[in-house]
Amino acid sequence: MRAAETTVRTDVLISGLGTALAGVSGPGALLDPPDTALGTDPVDALRGPGLRYKDRATKLALCAARDALADAGLLGTDGDLTVDGADFGVVVSSNWGNVDTVCDASATIRRSTYKATSPMLLPNTASNVTASWVAITHGLRGANVTLTNGPTSGLDAVHWARTLIAAGRLRRALVIGVEPVNEPVRHLVGDAEPLFDGAVALVAEAADAVRDRGGTPLARIGRYARAGDPARALAAVRDDEDTPPDAWWLPERPLPPATAGTTAPAGVPAYDLSARHGRCSGALGVLQCVAATAELTRTASRSMLATAGQGSTGGGPGEDDAAAALVLHRMPAPAGGGPS
Amino acid sequence: MSGLITGMGANCSVGADRAATFDALCAGRTGLAPLRGFEPANFRARNAYEIDDRAAPGEDRPLRPTRWLLDAVAEALADAGMAEDLTDIPVVIGTTLRELRSVELNWCDGTPFDPADLHFGTALRRRFRAGRTYTVANACAASLYALGMAADLLDLGEADTVVVAGADTITESTYGMLDRVYHKAPDAVRPFDRDRRGMLQGDGAAAVVLHRSPPPGTRPYARVRGVGVNCDASHPSAPDAESIGRVMRDAHARAGVKPADIDLVLLHGTGTPHNDVAEAQALVDVFAGVETPPRMTAVKSMIGHTAGASGLHSLITAVQSLASGRVPPTLGLADPIEEMAGFRLGSEPVVDPDLSLAQIDSFGFGGLNAVAVVEKVA
Repeated sequence: MRAAETTVRTDVLISGLGTALAGVSGPGALLDPPDTALGTDPVDALRGPGLRYKDRATKLALCAARDALADAGLLGTDGDLTVDGADFGVVVSSNWGNVDTVCDASATIRRSTYKATSPMLLPNTASNVTASWVAITHGLRGANVTLTNGPTSGLDAVHWARTLIAAGRLRRALVIGVEPVNEPVRHLVGDAEPLFDGAVALVAEAADAVRDRGGTPLARIGRYARAGDPARALAAVRDDEDTPPDAWWLPERPLPPATAGTTAPAGVPAYDLSARHGRCSGALGVLQCVAATAELTRTASRSMLATAGQGSTGGGPGEDDAAAALVLHRMPAPAGGGPS
Repeated sequence: MSGLITGMGANCSVGADRAATFDALCAGRTGLAPLRGFEPANFRARNAYEIDDRAAPGEDRPLRPTRWLLDAVAEALADAGMAEDLTDIPVVIGTTLRELRSVELNWCDGTPFDPADLHFGTALRRRFRAGRTYTVANACAASLYALGMAADLLDLGEADTVVVAGADTITESTYGMLDRVYHKAPDAVRPFDRDRRGMLQGDGAAAVVLHRSPPPGTRPYARVRGVGVNCDASHPSAPDAESIGRVMRDAHARAGVKPADIDLVLLHGTGTPHNDVAEAQALVDVFAGVETPPRMTAVKSMIGHTAGASGLHSLITAVQSLASGRVPPTLGLADPIEEMAGFRLGSEPVVDPDLSLAQIDSFGFGGLNAVAVVEKVA
């Protein structure tokens, strides 16, 4: 199969990171043990009208989005965007994002008919509601995409941000991975293990867009592949690499009753973010890219390999449908321009 | 941009396959029927455009949209002369509600449901060995958004062949909340009519096979000339006529065409008071000064709002209209709104052999807009 970077000539860089996760102070702390002193819910800090009609996924995403934009230097002192929103897009990854609204509303209708529902919640029944509010909040009028694509969804979202930029549709994209925890999500996914309840975000920009505004690139998005099994995805992203990555960010186990385990590669440091932060589902790939970018900027590492999804091992319930892999590269020092 | 359409599949309330659907549309047949999926006593609205494949009224079962999607993809592959093997072929699926109806049945009734089936990749892998699948939940603009994303993959050389699809059903939550929103419950979808009351949902799926260059021996139906996408970034549900106008102009620019070149417009036309006016205002603005305005039609008048699948339902209709010259009616259009007065839109089917370029409109919640331009391949 063809890895996605082979013919994409526009370098796409990561220029800002944000997290909205209780007990985590920021992107550089994602590998630390959770700090209970910082355990307040990030959405408590949100202010503004209409919050009561926004679902938890949307509130979490708004927190992470604001932090990533600020980290990239794209928000002015008034909080407004400092660049044109016309070619600034949004790509959100979430599998359980609006499950709560759908379950609550259907149960309300069964109990008390349609009259008991709130018309204000109608937009929340569509799974793109989070991406929509992020766009409205920051005036992002470019392509707006919501991926609800199973365990690989977060890496897929980073890939699509890069694709939309490389295709010239966008100059910039805000990529968000978010999963909320609530009773309908626990009912659907199971509560045998902790679930990730938070959002992470990164800003992806065309290399010249970062350069033109004097921004600081943090990492370059490299090859990506999605395939039916991990071996094929890995082979596609690694096929002309002669050195191993500096770290391998592991996929999470499929949902019970499927039981395939994660095999850590020999000789390369491996990080299992799900073991630290709970089952991440659609947020995982973005979380990996945020944590890996933070690692690239504070260590001498050259490249990071993120993997999500375990692919099929026999077709039973709970199994992942595919595996995805994505490589991030460090920026050459001194930072200030993309590699040509 | 140039993706060639070599295979198409579709199903909805009026037809189980692409040809049956197009024949029904051209004959002005409607899929409107009394609500079958849910307990009618819980709603004021009475009707919907459902696919009647349940064992008995009120006895709903999970995974219906997944089955329609598999049928549409299989039909499109057979139509394109391809084997049912999508190992290395990307599949981009647009949807508003994914398998959220199954989630409702799981939550309310305890119906077993595997969360791995909430996105469509799992079923596509089992049936077609597909590994590069993307479920794009982009509201009712989803399948034309998916078309634009797929076209980008072809343009960037990341794939030679792509399958684009759309699938949706009606959830109890959306049916009830739409019922709550409208002043009077709609009895039918009446796009652009002064008497329109709102939107009613429809079931269905659609799929097309796109190639960068036509494989030897295939005869493409049409060429995708360009797809524009954007986001209003102004309101979670209310449309923005200026933003819709911008995406129409963007689609024309990508396609390298002028408004006067467009022969046919497949309207989004949901029959809601605000959406139809916003689309009409954008059309008035974009087509201002065009001497002979394009023909227009709105197929939701017969199949309801098939949500994430609706853009592709319209596109597949447009491609067949270009090929055959047959244009379906806008069923029930008796008294068009003032903004549409200058356009050729009517309640009767027409035959026009001189159609070669079509515009397809698709808009959704969250201010999502997608417009495609397709050209007949002689």
